[in-house]
Amino acid sequence: MINAIINGHSVTVAEGTTILEAAEKVQVKIPTLCKHPDLPPTASCGICIVKAKGNNKMLRACCTPIAEGMDIITHDTEIVNVRRSVIELILSKHPNECLTCGRNGNCELQTLAEDFGIRRESYQECVSTISSDTSTGSIVLDPRKCVLCGRCVNVCQNIQDVWALSFVERGIETRISPAGDISLSESPCVRCGQCSAHCPTGAIVENDETQKVWQNIQNPDNYCVVQIAPAVRVAVGEAFGMKPGTNLTKKIYAALKRMGFKAVFDTNFSADVTIVEEATEFVTRFTTAPGSLPLITSCCPAWVDFMEKYHSDLKDNFSTCKSPQAMLGALAKTYFAEKNNIDPKKLFMVSIMPCTAKKYELSRSAEMFASGTQDVDVALTTRELARMIKQAGIDFKNLPDEEPDHLLGDYTGAATIFGVTGGVMEAALRTAYEYVTGGKLKNIEVQDVRGLAGVKEGVVDVGGHKVKVAVAHGLKNVEYVLSKIRTAKKEGTELPYHFVEVMACPGGCVGGGGQPYGVTDELRKARTEGLYCDDRDQVIRYSHENPYVKKLYEEFLGKANGEKSHHLLHTNYVARPEYQK
Amino acid sequence: MGKLTRQDIDNLAKSPKKTGAYIKIGMSTCGIAAGAQEVYDLFEKEIKAHNISIDLKKTGCLGMCHCEPLVEIAVEGLPAVIYGRVTQEIAQRLMEDHICHKRLVNDHIYELPVKRC
Amino acid sequence: MNKTILLIKDTAASSDTTKDLKAAFEKTARELGMEDSVQVVRVSDLGIYNQGVVVKILPNDLIYGHVKPEHVEKILKVTVKEGTPIEDLILRNVVSQTRIVLRNCGVINPESIEEYISNQGYTSLAKCLLDMKPQDVIDEVKKSGLRGRGGAGFPTWMKWNLARTSPGDQKYVICNGDEGDPGAYMDRSVLEGDPHSVIEGMVIAGYAIGAKQGFFYIRAEYPLAISRIETALKQAYDAGLLGKNILGSDFSFDLEIRLGAGAFVCGEETALIASIEGKRGTPRPRPPFPSDKGLWDKPTIINNVETLANIAVVFQKGGDFFSSIGTEKSKGTKVFAVTGKVEHSGLVEIAMGTPIRDIVYNICGGVLNGKKIMAVQTGGPSGGVIPEKYLDTPVSYEHLIELGSIMGSGGMIVMDVTDCMVDISKFYLRFCVDESCGKCAPCRIGGFQMLKLLEKVTDGEATPDDIETIRRIAHTMQKASLCALGQTAPNPVMSTLRYFEEEYLQHVQDKKCRAGKCKKLTRFSISTDKCKKCSLCSKNCPVGAIPGSKEQGYSVDQAKCIKCGRCFEICKFEAIVRS
Repeated sequence: MINAIINGHSVTVAEGTTILEAAEKVQVKIPTLCKHPDLPPTASCGICIVKAKGNNKMLRACCTPIAEGMDIITHDTEIVNVRRSVIELILSKHPNECLTCGRNGNCELQTLAEDFGIRRESYQECVSTISSDTSTGSIVLDPRKCVLCGRCVNVCQNIQDVWALSFVERGIETRISPAGDISLSESPCVRCGQCSAHCPTGAIVENDETQKVWQNIQNPDNYCVVQIAPAVRVAVGEAFGMKPGTNLTKKIYAALKRMGFKAVFDTNFSADVTIVEEATEFVTRFTTAPGSLPLITSCCPAWVDFMEKYHSDLKDNFSTCKSPQAMLGALAKTYFAEKNNIDPKKLFMVSIMPCTAKKYELSRSAEMFASGTQDVDVALTTRELARMIKQAGIDFKNLPDEEPDHLLGDYTGAATIFGVTGGVMEAALRTAYEYVTGGKLKNIEVQDVRGLAGVKEGVVDVGGHKVKVAVAHGLKNVEYVLSKIRTAKKEGTELPYHFVEVMACPGGCVGGGGQPYGVTDELRKARTEGLYCDDRDQVIRYSHENPYVKKLYEEFLGKANGEKSHHLLHTNYVARPEYQK
Repeated sequence: MGKLTRQDIDNLAKSPKKTGAYIKIGMSTCGIAAGAQEVYDLFEKEIKAHNISIDLKKTGCLGMCHCEPLVEIAVEGLPAVIYGRVTQEIAQRLMEDHICHKRLVNDHIYELPVKRC
Repeated sequence: MNKTILLIKDTAASSDTTKDLKAAFEKTARELGMEDSVQVVRVSDLGIYNQGVVVKILPNDLIYGHVKPEHVEKILKVTVKEGTPIEDLILRNVVSQTRIVLRNCGVINPESIEEYISNQGYTSLAKCLLDMKPQDVIDEVKKSGLRGRGGAGFPTWMKWNLARTSPGDQKYVICNGDEGDPGAYMDRSVLEGDPHSVIEGMVIAGYAIGAKQGFFYIRAEYPLAISRIETALKQAYDAGLLGKNILGSDFSFDLEIRLGAGAFVCGEETALIASIEGKRGTPRPRPPFPSDKGLWDKPTIINNVETLANIAVVFQKGGDFFSSIGTEKSKGTKVFAVTGKVEHSGLVEIAMGTPIRDIVYNICGGVLNGKKIMAVQTGGPSGGVIPEKYLDTPVSYEHLIELGSIMGSGGMIVMDVTDCMVDISKFYLRFCVDESCGKCAPCRIGGFQMLKLLEKVTDGEATPDDIETIRRIAHTMQKASLCALGQTAPNPVMSTLRYFEEEYLQHVQDKKCRAGKCKKLTRFSISTDKCKKCSLCSKNCPVGAIPGSKEQGYSVDQAKCIKCGRCFEICKFEAIVRS
């Protein structure tokens, strides 16, 4: 343990603790900009500088470890003046467009300028004139607002292993761009949106499609319907000042109805359908075609894109099941439309997702038009939903609870945990277990696949068979799992896993690229707990027991993995080049 | 050369310095930029033409960059001197006067006061 | 028969009696019948200045100063014939260079390992590997007092010792041959002229810290240095001085070259490491220091070329010998690249503690064309100016820092009254802004903003508030930049502000540039009173901006004039007015 003094207060901390972390222990908040709790410090902004007695330099608190006997001053006139000057320098290169920016009111640079009481512009404005990159349709990159904190590059390279973003050029010309200065859609970008989730300013935001949705809702010829994803319900409250993890499902239904949607569905319903399809797929492979194992989940579109670009050799191991979003779209425009005599061409399906890649999923292949028209018309992020609720004059916090349209809206506990890393695996195991053994899985909460560890491995005894599973989240962790699989296949040894779940975003969808800004492990845990509670609160916790799912198969689909299912609810995959250019 | 032992190194370091006539031309970037390669080629040609036995060597930068190309000449009976700003014409004169006729050439010598270690 | 040579040069600033004295010597020699035993030669330069007529006698190696015609006969009779020195004439206190780093440059053939060894090369390596333990090696370097010559002046023994005591299964030695300072080329000359001395230093360093692998990091703009090092490496490997079990000891060491790619910032230790690792060349925060976690997170030492070239001599002559040269805190010698408005530009290696004035006037021949000196700039883009009144300052790490400059890697630029101090600081700042890696906001944006303000000053559009803003940005950059590039980029500006504030004020308040360098503040025109209509200016104007005729006279077309000043310099009648 190391002893030091910070602003006259004594601290004792473990070796390796940074000055920033040690200061928190004595309630001293050193301002930062480029530092993010998820990432190692880049030490670029220069705002966290502090003084240490005996050293005439100023040190960066975010990355300097506390040394024995250090005597730190975090705030005095000189330090604050230098910090203010650095902020003013950053502001001189930043467009003065707060009022029309996607992060207005929710921007780390705004907060710093406010905290430091910046009231004048001491330095001449020198904003760059580079145009935005809107090529992906999911994420918008505006280099003028970039403060070069490096978080997005760090996330894209070191946590997501996608390497779509990097620094190009140098000095005052430095900017963020894919290598080779191509557009984002020509790069390996999988649209996971983690860059946006970590960006402190409005330099990376989602492609806002709320206007399109408003227009369609207001068009009397349209029959607008909507579905919400599991991870949305425990996060949207944050935009209204509510505690992260608060389960607001029924209020969201109410809000959506008031916004003008004619039917409100729940993606959790189709998550149950996904489980029925996928568990059937798994059991079939496991019992009749073990050479086709492992089965790898495919509901995450960023993961699908990553696989198609970097790991297309394992294409055939991907579950052909579509994602719950896509399934619901197909079912709404066929099953629901038929039952209610609605012309599917007039049906406008909107989905609310915690995800930016879902915008891309909607048109990734011809199978996304299985109903005859585009199955899901627009995917909005949680953030866009929050804005729409506010625009619609809805007092969200005080709304009464309402019900969804049960036909495609009721769900089980297994479905709702889809939003958490390991959730899909758990849900699939609950159902697959019964399909194989006829009995119920004893420990319904499979602890082995829960938690924030990058790779989680487990073995589940399914009627005497040892089913080996792996769960990975954060695309960097995929390498470990896949290389074990490839090695085993090459050497002809026993497979390390039979069933693999991958979520691109760390934490799973609760930490998605479209969630309210400011993702940290604390937030991930709070939102996760919200979903696990939702699971425990449900009477039915097995996907195949969902009465409306049973009705769907009886009335419409027939068999799981049957012909109709394959047409509407399954897809296939192609190899794609990493770089389009 | 083959692998050396400590004895080899010590012997070589202690052995008496080679004496004998030489022409040393500064062939670092500064010299070459100023035209030392052409001067070197000229001496090479002239030595062959005059059929004399004299060592023509490259050397590094003496630091007197303002008067490159530098040529150090040592012939028997005369101390070594350094000539600076040597053009091909001057090199020709050095060949004729200094090397062949053992007469130092006026107005082109540059000395460097130095304690070497 | 061995002749005596008399080298004659009139070293006074403004006279040339050399021809006459030579004639006198030759005449007297003939009269004494000595014309066959002595040659009298006029030389271009003896490296001695302002000592009247100087006669150097070879091979006696005697130097006589202030020689007058009346001394001629005595010199011939006493010194040439009898070999006795004349005490009164001997020139004492000749400022000469002390060549340790450049000991072999210009002496040996850099492509011959035999010549290197003949001149004591690799004897130090043998001594260290076979007679000494690694700790002994470090102790000897400590005794020498050698400090890093790349600019920071960190004690070399301490850097090595920290790496030696850091835990690690692999350690690295890196030679920093990036040499980015504009106008500095000492390292290039050593790499081209004496590559083996650097190799020997690196192997000894590797032995001292326990490293098995070393890297040369040489900037790609030095192709000859790279090829000379490549040749030297091959020779060293062939001779068994690199590779496995060197000289039969247990120590093995491998050495490779890595090239730079045009980034000044990659001369900074951590950016250099990033560059070798294949990453973007940007600095990392320290701690951890490279001696703890450096290249690939292993203990690493990075030493400048000049530092390493000193090492062999420390062991040839001993640490005590080395520390007997120099000042109390700055031991040994330093190589300077003296350029600018100086008569004899070039590399100068002097003992630490030599006054700057000696370097400029007594080694390099004084200011070009005898103009008045304004200041001397040291330390490159991280350094500052030393004004004329401080020229007697001895050259050492501590003295230069006191004056607001730094030793740096050894660039020394002489400036005269035709140099504008604001323009000089703008030049250095522009260099830093171009070379900034862009990682940290204070340097990236602060440097750019400061440059824009300096441009306002030189364009005559600045206000006194702008000077205050410049000071504020400088303070911010010094305190908050991540690496030394940003921290020291304001130094030339602050240093010129400290000593030449009146020039800044002239630019700001009077919209005037004293030196006539700032184009927007300078105007050339022709004074019709003085103009003799000789047409010399018009003919020599590079852009044809002086129309007119011999009958009607000439005038300057301000729209075309590019303010180059050629007409001003060429006019014999001082008819060009610069305002």
